[in-house]
Amino acid sequence: MYRYDEFDATFVAGRTAQFSDQVKRRLSGELTEDQFRPLRLMNGLYLQLHAYMLRIAVPYGTLSSKQMRMFAHIARTYDRGYGHFTTRQNIQFNWPKLKDIPKILEELASVEMHAIQTSGNCIRNVTADHFAGAAADEIIDPRPIAEILRQWSSLHPEFSYLPRKFKIAITGAPNDRAAIRFHDIGLQAATNAAGEIGWEVWVGGGLGRTPMIGKLINSFVPNEHLLAYLESIMRVYNRYGRRDNKYKARIKILVHEEGLETIKGQVEAEFAEVRGGVLTLPAEEVDRITAYFAPPQFTAQPATKIDVAYQSIIDPAYGRWLDHNINSHREAGYASVTISLKPVGGAPGDATDKQMDDIADIAQRYAFDELRVTHEQNLVLPHVAVADLRAVYEALVATGLAEGNTGLITDMICCPGLDFCALANARSIPLAQEISRKFAQPERQAEIGDLKIKISGCINACGHHHVGHIGILGVEKKGGELYQITLGGDATESASVGKIIGPGFEAEAVPGAIETLVDTYISKRESAGETFIQAYRRLGEAPFKEALYGAA
Amino acid sequence: MALPKLAHTPAAHDKLRALGILALNGMFDEMDAVGVLRQAATDVLPGDLAIVSSFGADSAVLLHLVAQVDPSLPVYFLETGKHFAETLDYVETLKKHLGLINVHAIHPNAADVQRFDPNGDLWETDPDSCCHIRKTEPLEPITEQYGGWVTGRKRFQTKERGVLPHFELTSDDRIKVNPLAYFNDADVNQYKIDHGLPEHPLFAKGYKSIGCAPCTSVVAEGEDPRAGRWRGLNKKECGIHFDFNGAIASPMTAATRHTLWKDGAFIADPFHEWADDSDPATASYKHVPLAVFLANRDTFLANPHPLGLLVVPGDRIEDVEADLGRFASIAIKFPAFSDGRGYSTARLLSERFNYSGEIRAVGDVLQDQIPLMRRCGINALVVTHEPTRAALLENRLPEVAIFYQPVGTTEVPVGTRPFLRRVS
Ligand code: SF4
Ligand code: SF4
Repeated sequence: MYRYDEFDATFVAGRTAQFSDQVKRRLSGELTEDQFRPLRLMNGLYLQLHAYMLRIAVPYGTLSSKQMRMFAHIARTYDRGYGHFTTRQNIQFNWPKLKDIPKILEELASVEMHAIQTSGNCIRNVTADHFAGAAADEIIDPRPIAEILRQWSSLHPEFSYLPRKFKIAITGAPNDRAAIRFHDIGLQAATNAAGEIGWEVWVGGGLGRTPMIGKLINSFVPNEHLLAYLESIMRVYNRYGRRDNKYKARIKILVHEEGLETIKGQVEAEFAEVRGGVLTLPAEEVDRITAYFAPPQFTAQPATKIDVAYQSIIDPAYGRWLDHNINSHREAGYASVTISLKPVGGAPGDATDKQMDDIADIAQRYAFDELRVTHEQNLVLPHVAVADLRAVYEALVATGLAEGNTGLITDMICCPGLDFCALANARSIPLAQEISRKFAQPERQAEIGDLKIKISGCINACGHHHVGHIGILGVEKKGGELYQITLGGDATESASVGKIIGPGFEAEAVPGAIETLVDTYISKRESAGETFIQAYRRLGEAPFKEALYGAA
Repeated sequence: MALPKLAHTPAAHDKLRALGILALNGMFDEMDAVGVLRQAATDVLPGDLAIVSSFGADSAVLLHLVAQVDPSLPVYFLETGKHFAETLDYVETLKKHLGLINVHAIHPNAADVQRFDPNGDLWETDPDSCCHIRKTEPLEPITEQYGGWVTGRKRFQTKERGVLPHFELTSDDRIKVNPLAYFNDADVNQYKIDHGLPEHPLFAKGYKSIGCAPCTSVVAEGEDPRAGRWRGLNKKECGIHFDFNGAIASPMTAATRHTLWKDGAFIADPFHEWADDSDPATASYKHVPLAVFLANRDTFLANPHPLGLLVVPGDRIEDVEADLGRFASIAIKFPAFSDGRGYSTARLLSERFNYSGEIRAVGDVLQDQIPLMRRCGINALVVTHEPTRAALLENRLPEVAIFYQPVGTTEVPVGTRPFLRRVS
């Protein structure tokens, strides 16, 4: 894992002092809320419906036990005993007091964490594949480059007041688990003819009101020139991105309105100027950072074979967990474990202070002290010896986080919605809870198989509903809450945006409507192996529409 | 046609005297500088004429005229205490070379300096007052002794001097003699060459109009020669060339009103906003909007006065790349602090186009953005927001002092940018 050197520590301390001064000026009234807003937003501090919300960066989703314990400590000391993991691989605390913020930031700095650029119109925390450095299908661990991007983008003097927020995601694997095509910039490891590893650069993807799939702007940028290339994109965006309408200010709109070729021309012209300059990334520097991400000392594992079918019979819950929450590891005898933060009836992504402490203990004991946050609001123990899986499972059972539902219908992504968010039109957490109760039966979930439901409380799409196989969007209609259902979204390498299939539903009717869709799928699928999204692609929307609204 | 010698208390202004001046002016053709001075010294004001010289870049010409007419004419040099050492050397050089035998240095009143300029930085905060105590006040008792003065002023030097005659009547009824009124830049240089006059040591270094050290800077090629004086300060003429008893700002009044922050202080701003009726041909010290400049490019390029450029968001600075050297100052507008386009403009100016003049931020300039602005190459700020002014004055900008990313050409010492560290 990356460890701060003296420079990083000084930087974060400096930033903490700077922000503390800004908080002080706000508390003294020297700063108005208007003037304070962009400053606090630069540091992850939002004003929510009821209170301030502090968002803390978990750079590229990687953290240590010590850092997880700090989250537990903050939840306990400054909040109401829990934290909320987000789709941006961050954690949010919903109830801190403004006067405590400087103290919280100081405590965070002591474990090499911060809230820098987790909000505001700047380059946000870079997100990455949550199985980075562990997945069997990986070409290269993307985290060294993600760390370099973190450094390059931190308090960038030119790009701190962009037209709008800017999100970068990176993956080193062909199977895209980081949704890079739905980010302002997506980077995917690529190999050129000479066999060198570099990056495909995708630009202009995003969700929100106008979902767009990113477009390939460059199919191979070597490490050496990556920063120069990204700086070129940023400069074009900073100069020409729309600022007249905040809903049209993301780079996706610029790319869409100007056309990829125009933007590409501008970026290439800029790149021609800056290429080879101060931003050139020396191989030694990449190596130096890469060394921090060296794989842990894996030990040769005895050939442990777990008979999942057998386990499923003697302990069905464990069997399901093995079935769904384990990902293959590139090291023989190891696996990655997903810790589901989606217990039936719970709020997706929430963890209590006690749970965070327990998870930290498990990671320390069984997983080389390392944890990940996924953009699907779960946690991951990236490196667990297969021989330890049972013990890990038991420990998770003890803390109530052993739900074997990863990738299943109850593993929903859900934004905070009307319960916390000032922008929301509708509640989303209670709806997710309702749906998960409806499908609580593990056998039923297993029968349905892979199905991603994503719920947003408003058009801003923080719950990624556009890329849910089934998406649910809260809208306001005549003073009431109404939910629109979309079908066919997909955040992976076969990216697509879901389509609205008909009029919205009242909250009470939504779980029933989801059930109708699921039943339709099950009755029409070719085999149990054909997933919901595959069936939808084959069948089109017609049978689903008919099931929901009756024949046309 | 001798005019009556002027008494210490000047007589009432009368038509005849004015007519006499007119006639005097009519007598000399454009180039006859030595004739003008001889007439003044021997006929108009015999024994009642003195010279004030700055011993600047062009002073040798006038002093050479003096030496020809009468090396014992009194020559006064304002030793403000702020001169370049080179200027003080040059006084001696010229005295020797020209054989002048009546040169006096006038010093400011020590008590005034102690009182109004204890730190020696009044030139920065309030140059009008500085000139007042270092030039106007010390000169006054001397001027009272003479009925007339010789100056080295030339009409080409600045717009305000465009109509300078050889003889002038001041409001207190003294006569100012301007033998070099019709000289232009080329004439001065030719004269110096023809007569083998020693150059001011700083002339070769690009200084064309030399006054006190803090208020003089190098003038760019094609720039108004006096643009180098009080560059960055709201001041064009030294008080002494106006009416000797004229109203000149009293010390320390203007300091708090300055909004231009540069080199660690709020200073007077020589620039003004471009107005709709400003004239591209004659405008001076104005920030010309980029679009206006492009629409009238030829006229602006023919305009000899110092000009600035105003760049607003949406302007493409590339469009004026070739003409950037024309501008003494470039103002980048931040209509709202949240509009970050100006940062890109600033970096392009300083890094890509190597623009080395003043780059100032105008508009919504607040303390929290200033560190970023500086890193992007902005070196001057126009600040009206009170807490920000206070933060600047108290030197407590909210700043993170180390940087990850290389920006600018020199700002980050090698070794503080993690991803640029090289194994050496
Ligand atoms: S999608 Fe809307 S309701 Fe949900 S968190 Fe985002 S802004 Fe709030
Ligand atoms: S020229 Fe400058 S230093 Fe000299 S007296 Fe005037 S203000 Fe002071």
